[in-house]
Amino acid sequence: MEPIIIVVAVIALALFFDFTNGFHDTANAMATPIATGALKPRVAVAIAAVMNLAGAFLSTAVAKTISVDLINENVHLGAEMVFAGLTGAILWNLTTWFLGLPSSSSHALFGGLIGSAVAFAGVNAVNFEKVVEKVLIPALFAPVIAGVAALLATRLAFVITARTEAQKKAGQTTGRGIFRVGQIFSSSLVALSHGTNDAQKTMGVITLVLVATGFQANGDHVQIWVVLSAAAAIAFGTYAGGWRIIRTMGSGLAEIKPAQGFAAEISTGVTILASSNLGFALSTTQVASGSVIGSGLGRKGGAVRWNKAGQIVLGWLFTLPASAIVGALSAYLVMAGPVGLFVDGIITLAVVITIFQVSRRNKIGHHNVVSEVEGASKAIASPKSIRAAAKAADAAKKSAERATKTASKKKGGK
Amino acid sequence: MTIKWDNLFLVAGTSIGAALLVVALFAVGVRLLTDARLAEAKAKKGDNAAARVEAISRTLSYIAFSLCGSALLYGIYLIVPAFHLSK
Repeated sequence: MEPIIIVVAVIALALFFDFTNGFHDTANAMATPIATGALKPRVAVAIAAVMNLAGAFLSTAVAKTISVDLINENVHLGAEMVFAGLTGAILWNLTTWFLGLPSSSSHALFGGLIGSAVAFAGVNAVNFEKVVEKVLIPALFAPVIAGVAALLATRLAFVITARTEAQKKAGQTTGRGIFRVGQIFSSSLVALSHGTNDAQKTMGVITLVLVATGFQANGDHVQIWVVLSAAAAIAFGTYAGGWRIIRTMGSGLAEIKPAQGFAAEISTGVTILASSNLGFALSTTQVASGSVIGSGLGRKGGAVRWNKAGQIVLGWLFTLPASAIVGALSAYLVMAGPVGLFVDGIITLAVVITIFQVSRRNKIGHHNVVSEVEGASKAIASPKSIRAAAKAADAAKKSAERATKTASKKKGGK
Repeated sequence: MTIKWDNLFLVAGTSIGAALLVVALFAVGVRLLTDARLAEAKAKKGDNAAARVEAISRTLSYIAFSLCGSALLYGIYLIVPAFHLSK
């Protein structure tokens, strides 16, 4: 049995990864309804959080078969190895969040574990065929399938609801705003399916470590406290809302109207459900990004910001190797013994805090998630405008604080 | 390496087909509902034909929306393993 402190540290890291997974992926379900105004930002993340919480409880079957088959069976996955892998996954997830890039949390997790396994047991530890089969090929097809579905569905929606000039004169509207109502349901469905899939990965990792360290006899069940804490972590993360990524997906990639939003969400939901039920697992993030691009292309006069799309694809390419590198570096530290593990933990914590601190300079929250897109793209261009944007953000924050203060005063008065 | 191309194409076909079906149904619902609203205005002025158009459009649009609703329920059925893996 390994020292309990390592096990506790791994569980804490796994739950923190679960949290980052939640706020990284809120955008998959909720970026488009927020962008079209179908749901208010905070209502949207609250619904997504509840759906993720419910989803985490609905299915614990996946947790038992966590996809570590990327790592060869003869490699012993110890607590230290998982610890190092998780640090890689967490740091990459936070980096892409800071850059506002929707990237796959599962790929980050796989990458981290792969890097750590290579450091511990050599290159032979990794089953590269499986990596191509389960990561690379799906990554190529996920956005294409969802993109084609969303493009055609958007076209169809616009054709069916189109009006002739005469009808327009007669005062007949397209009624496309009604798609907003549909969006509430379609986005909730996507959030629910996310909860049933992603919380499982954390449960799987924790269970794996508990079995490896002898705290649990075998991996044929998931302990209730593991389910509870993983569900809570992902729901809390979802509610925190990865506003940066929501902004990228909601308005950074393409301008989304209600009919497009609905088409995109339905395409995401349907593709995820088909992939998980017909035996070809696809990444939710990649599917959702593909849907948004597809629906952007589907509307006449709709433009896709290929620049941003390119950045996102670049992020996908880097996700696995980058988290693998961090995972490997972290593993070398951990292998040095308890001191190394401690140092690794401190470094990870320091980087996490730094990213959060730096992100506050140009804060994106529910208050500015929809607007200011143009400002954001300019801010990337010059440091001067970054300062201007930061100032504006500060001012917005202050006024928001004032507003909440007066609101709480009013409440207190009652 | 065993890439399950069959499954991949099955997933692609099903996804595109099902997305088109659901979105088309909802769009038809939207279209019929707006048709009904327009006819309603005329019907109020005593136009009997418009009243009939309104009733038919409205009914059909509700049917389209409920079909979308059942697609949603089927989605939930697929998501929750307890519904289909318990056997």
